[in-house]
Amino acid sequence: MIEDKVLCRCEEVLESEIREAIQAGARTLHGVKIRTRAGMGLCQGQTCQRLIARILAEETGQSPAEILPATYRPPCRPINLSFLSGVEG
Amino acid sequence: MHEVEIAVVGAGPAGLSAAIEAARAGAKVLLLDENRKPGGQLFKQIHKFFGSKAHYAAVRGIDIGCRLLDEAQESGVETWLNIPVWGLFGNHTLAVIRDGRAQTVRAKKIILATGASENALSFPGWTLPGVMTAGAAQTMMNIHRVLPGQRVLMVGAGNIGLIVSYQLLQAGGEVVAVIEAMDQIGGYAVHAAKIRRAGVPILVSHTIREAHGREQVEAATIVQVDEQMQPIPGTERRLGVDTVCLAVGLTPLAELGWMAGCGFAYIPDLGGFVPLHDENMETTLPGLYVAGDITGIEEANSAMEEGRLAGLAAAEALGYLREEAISRKAEVRQRLDSLRLGPFGEKRQRAKERLLGECRGQLAKQEPPDVSKSCQDLTRSRITVVTGVLSLEELAGSPGYPSQERLRSGKVAVIECMQQIPCDPCVGACPRGAISIAPTITDLPVLDAEKCNGCGLCLPACPGLAIFLVDLTFSPTETLVAFPYEYLPLPKVGTEVEAVDREGHVVARGRVVRVQNPPRYDRTPVISIAIPKEFAQVVRSIKRSGKR
Ligand SMILES: Cc1cc2nc3c(=O)[nH]c(=O)nc-3n(C[C@H](O)[C@H](O)[C@H](O)COP(=O)(O)OP(=O)(O)OC[C@H]3O[C@@H](n4cnc5c(N)ncnc54)[C@H](O)[C@@H]3O)c2cc1C
Ligand code: SF4
Ligand code: SF4
Ligand code: FES
Repeated sequence: MIEDKVLCRCEEVLESEIREAIQAGARTLHGVKIRTRAGMGLCQGQTCQRLIARILAEETGQSPAEILPATYRPPCRPINLSFLSGVEG
Repeated sequence: MHEVEIAVVGAGPAGLSAAIEAARAGAKVLLLDENRKPGGQLFKQIHKFFGSKAHYAAVRGIDIGCRLLDEAQESGVETWLNIPVWGLFGNHTLAVIRDGRAQTVRAKKIILATGASENALSFPGWTLPGVMTAGAAQTMMNIHRVLPGQRVLMVGAGNIGLIVSYQLLQAGGEVVAVIEAMDQIGGYAVHAAKIRRAGVPILVSHTIREAHGREQVEAATIVQVDEQMQPIPGTERRLGVDTVCLAVGLTPLAELGWMAGCGFAYIPDLGGFVPLHDENMETTLPGLYVAGDITGIEEANSAMEEGRLAGLAAAEALGYLREEAISRKAEVRQRLDSLRLGPFGEKRQRAKERLLGECRGQLAKQEPPDVSKSCQDLTRSRITVVTGVLSLEELAGSPGYPSQERLRSGKVAVIECMQQIPCDPCVGACPRGAISIAPTITDLPVLDAEKCNGCGLCLPACPGLAIFLVDLTFSPTETLVAFPYEYLPLPKVGTEVEAVDREGHVVARGRVVRVQNPPRYDRTPVISIAIPKEFAQVVRSIKRSGKR
């Protein structure tokens, strides 16, 4: 076993924590995300989602095609929340 | 709220081309990009591009970007830069940040051309400063003019890994090795050959095990892998490096498509999940189009063509162009098909067909590759490209090589390009019509050595830097070899240099006879050196003098 390593660098989530989340029942990227915060960081999962998808596939036996990206919600770019105060319709 | 007819998200080659076509057709077009400078990936590309005349072949990426910008301006495209699009609601409304405020843009048609993001690789130490993606290294060097490191390990030998390695050398860095997990390189042999003759080793069936260092990268351990990609114990090697560059693929950046809810397919050959689209680049959501790397990782040329197609189709759907649209779109599709020929393009062509098939709701049956259709003469390209260095036997059998008699009769071009890649600037560069590539752009260049007088004009035009001149008659004891050389400082005429072979080994001493660097060579100088006769087919460059 190779030593543990950080998988989501924005939220500093370890590979072991991701595996634990899957063992505890996470079956989707979204499930891993709400349990561990992996993918919730500044890059919105751009860096880590594929890495986590691979571990999900490994642990659950799903094919990569079954592992959909975690739900994308606006904003998909980091924005200052004060910008939103004046949203026009 | 801002209203336009067509909004294009992403001002890379795909978005720019889409905006230009649609605006020329008469539509009111708004082009948005989150960067301060338009051009997408193009502005980092200081090397000459492949492709045909129609695709600005042999023009540097950055110069292609500038030309597209001019065209966009002339055709009346409105451009908003430094504006991230952070939401897409339904198929008509974009959310943006402008003037420090959240605003919306409503468009009758929206074209997504957001490109791709680089894949990461995780290994112990990958979060250390000094580990970066190849694209980040490229941005540092070519935009900010900062060398990312002195000693670099490049992970991945696809075109991006090979090209960025070459650019690191040009910037004065040292590339300690390029490693590739597969058992052969994934990029073009001509790109690999450039760094091989500069002495960079390419280790196939190797991966990175760990990056070491306290505050930043100080070393990296690499390891050989077996056919199952499993590390082979005992093959670990520690390399002293200060930078690890990752060039391990791209993923289409389609978050806006997911948000809008269009249909997707998972196609590994295209880089993962890609939005489904039809022949007009329209997604499953009416009025929402896609073009470029977002619909599958390809190249700038195909991105531009897809952009044109999406631009034409969106304009047509708004009532512009009328009959003209059909023929214009057919022309673009034909050029796109020609870019997807040959062993490299074939896979993408099939993947794209599958995408179209799925979009029509009829999952196209996976057919075996139709070799007859795409490769006139596949056997010719079945060369053993493991790390990009061709053997003399392989070269001698290539259609770009002059015969022994012709070589003996005087100065002549020697073309070392033996893969079916979509490229043909050498053809147009020869004033005597001595080079032909037919019938398709992916066929191999054929040299009519009787027509060639050794003028050397094809050397700087070849983006693969794969053409050389050899003159066996230079003097009784010496041969003249000329080669393209894109490093500074340039050697001086009359000086003695170390002549290297295709793998960068010093094999002889040479004397610089000529250094040509006129404006029309577009910053690809050509160096001619005199070397002992017996090295005529061995020497292909010189050792770089110092750094910087
Ligand atoms: C090192 C390297 C070498 C290459 N060499 C070649 C070559 O020799 N020949 C060749 O043909 N191709 C080459 N390519 C490939 C080529 O650069 C790409 O295929 C091409 O740029 C894709 O074009 P695109 O318009 O789809 O995307 P991009 O060029 O990536 O442009 C997308 C743009 O959209 C913007 N964007 C994304 N999301 C948003 C958002 N939400 N809001 C606002 N803006 C957004 C991005 O910032 C970017 O500016 C190379 C690529 C690399 C990395
Ligand atoms: S050396 Fe001159 S004549 Fe010969 S192939 Fe090249 S361009 Fe043509
Ligand atoms: S020899 Fe011709 S086809 Fe080959 S890389 Fe050079 S320009 Fe392209
Ligand atoms: S690396 Fe996981 S959210 Fe950025």
